[in-house]
Amino acid sequence: MKRLIISHLGKRFNDNWAVKDLNLEIEAGEIFVLLGPNGAGKTTTLKLLAGLLHPTQGNIQIEGIDIRQDPIRAKSRIGYVPDQPFIYDKLTGREFINFIAGIFRIPAPEYEKRLLPLIEKFEIGDWIDEPTESYSHGMKQKIILCQLLLHDPPLILVDEPLVGLDPKSSKVVREIFLKLRDEGKSLLVSTHTLTFAQEIATRIGIINLGELKFTGSLEDLARISGLKDIEDIYLKLSEENNA
Amino acid sequence: MREFLLIYRARLRTIGNTLARLGWLRTVSFIFVIAVFFSGAFYVLFRIFGYLASAEIIGMSLIDRTLEMAFFVFFIMLLFSNIITSFSTFYNNQELEFLFSLPVPSTSIYLAKLFENSLYASWATMVLALPLVFAYGIALKAPLPFYPVAVASIFIYLIIPAALASVLIFILLSVFPRIKPRDVIFISLAFVIGLSVLYLKISNPAVLKIFETENEQDLIRFAANLSTVGGAFVPSTWLANIIKGFRASSGRGVFYFLLLLFTSGSSVIISFFIARLLYHHSWLRLGEHNRRSGLTRSPLSRPRRGPVESMLFKDVMIFVREPAQWVQLSIFLILLVIYIFSLSRTPLYFTFPQWRTIISFANFSYICFVLATLGVRFIFPTVSLERNGLWCIVSSPLPLARILRIKYIFNFVLVTIIFEGLLILSNLMIKTDPTFYVIMPVIGLFVAASLVAINLGLGSRFPQFNEDNPSRIAAGSGGIIAALTSVAYVGISLIILAAPAYNYLTSRYMNRPGRSIFIVVGFAAFLVFNILTIFGFLRLGIRSLEKRDF
Repeated sequence: MKRLIISHLGKRFNDNWAVKDLNLEIEAGEIFVLLGPNGAGKTTTLKLLAGLLHPTQGNIQIEGIDIRQDPIRAKSRIGYVPDQPFIYDKLTGREFINFIAGIFRIPAPEYEKRLLPLIEKFEIGDWIDEPTESYSHGMKQKIILCQLLLHDPPLILVDEPLVGLDPKSSKVVREIFLKLRDEGKSLLVSTHTLTFAQEIATRIGIINLGELKFTGSLEDLARISGLKDIEDIYLKLSEENNA
Repeated sequence: MREFLLIYRARLRTIGNTLARLGWLRTVSFIFVIAVFFSGAFYVLFRIFGYLASAEIIGMSLIDRTLEMAFFVFFIMLLFSNIITSFSTFYNNQELEFLFSLPVPSTSIYLAKLFENSLYASWATMVLALPLVFAYGIALKAPLPFYPVAVASIFIYLIIPAALASVLIFILLSVFPRIKPRDVIFISLAFVIGLSVLYLKISNPAVLKIFETENEQDLIRFAANLSTVGGAFVPSTWLANIIKGFRASSGRGVFYFLLLLFTSGSSVIISFFIARLLYHHSWLRLGEHNRRSGLTRSPLSRPRRGPVESMLFKDVMIFVREPAQWVQLSIFLILLVIYIFSLSRTPLYFTFPQWRTIISFANFSYICFVLATLGVRFIFPTVSLERNGLWCIVSSPLPLARILRIKYIFNFVLVTIIFEGLLILSNLMIKTDPTFYVIMPVIGLFVAASLVAINLGLGSRFPQFNEDNPSRIAAGSGGIIAALTSVAYVGISLIILAAPAYNYLTSRYMNRPGRSIFIVVGFAAFLVFNILTIFGFLRLGIRSLEKRDF
């Protein structure tokens, strides 16, 4: 069974189509990276999949469940990391993670077993018991990634995962994403960091002006564009689309 | 000055864009609700002033004292609310990082923020003050120039507590750079209470004393000896004198207008120079000391069992750690406790049972109105306070309807405890009729359930996700709609309940035949009205959240 099926998805804000007729399928064990310039429709697409926006048209199926018909069951199969890591600023990192664990009904023993290694891996340390209002952008991002990995969903949606992270944490994120892929999870990742995309992507999609212009592997991209470097390929395809 | 105008123009543009996005339906309904509230408040005050003006001997004297007392209370309220909001406006505000990074003098930032703070802290007072002066003017047939002068005087008056509060906060933050918001509020509260008590002790105003005589000579002497509330040196007296000045065609009003204008202008100039000395430096020092807040452990540090428990603990922790929330709630409760104990001092001629019954109904109405205010201040902002954190709830497998129901039950339990506690205690103090002891708490349950539903429903319909200050959320257009809807709900409920209460009173104490049909129909109407209110507003809230894009 396909993990994610998007058909003819569209979202219109007033008279502007932020996402237009988007069709995509993602298999288990696949990392699909969405690339595109600012305002291309990446965040809108991810928000539509996470149930934060109502689609104007089209369908989304997560493990065969239509998100409009049964949003609760569909959402129990996804984990979402937004581009802006907003957390309740009066809660500590641990309290926020506990809150999410409660919402997703993660049993306490399982939760505690999983949390400690994550705190160590991301080098969060004592910050975990500090109110998040004193966190840096990167620290908030780490906490949000921790809560995502705790509830262990089969489909993971991540919007700009590397923003604000230090190089070591970026490396940890890359390793974690690849491990998740190997465990059979599916990831839909939006990023501007082309090298990161190159390192993790099973398939790449280029989105511009709300439309998915290209989907395929890195090799397909290179073949079509006649270029080798991902940055050159991306810029060439973006310019062609803008033209 | 140029920078100040630029900052302010940007601020006005933001307000303009927000208004433009409101849509005509929301704008019209907002104007309508404001107009209804103004008309209602105006009518009640007009009747009071009309009645007092017709009372011989002490009528005009009481009108004067009412004005002075109202303006004095407004001043204390304004000073305190300006202090509470000024910490977040001048220091704890993300926009400041941007503004201080610009090549703009800190005094320009200060002036822009001073007017913003004054606006947020004073709107509630304006909503009360404008109908007051209009009712006064029309009841006493004031000439046409009275109205623009009175409105202008109120605006000038608002600036004084705003400037004073900012000076206080700058000094506090400069002396104690490691201070936390909680401590700022505590110190300010102690300062305002101390100042008010000290002033009242020194001035010892006769108007606060309970008058108990039926002798006309005593009455005249009492009226003649009523001292000015707050004394001759406080701005509230000057404002009252401007308003009163239109009755006598002397130049007193002009003198007090100029005095108020001069004091207001001077307070801005003095605060401007203090801001130049202290503001930027204290803002920088606060930032240096606020890097880490220290380790915090709470019941939420342990894993919770399920979504309901997690949501409840989250809401409780956020409330407990937001000093502005619980300090304001404490002030509310302290004032109410003082009110309840003052009921025990009810004058002797109220000892007859029918008077006690009437007083207990009036007391019930008062508590309902107070809780309506409490609901707008504390329950209306709860959905907005989820703010940008809503992404984690909305993308989770927890239905929005359930989230709202959890919030509803939590707030209902809290409001019921406060409401029933106040009702039972006050009825004990009044020694009310035994039937009222039993019935009022039952009615109170419905009132609490409806007020919570109105505020949660409208809080979901008109959320302000871009605002993190609950006072400001309550002060927004949605908050005003919720306030006026709550007041209208209480008013309608009291009108429905008045018929059975009156019927009971006359049959029990005045030997008139009682009509049980009045009581049955009255309670049935109240029940239906409340069920419609509860389910209607909750449904409105759930549907609004479900339709919303986050």
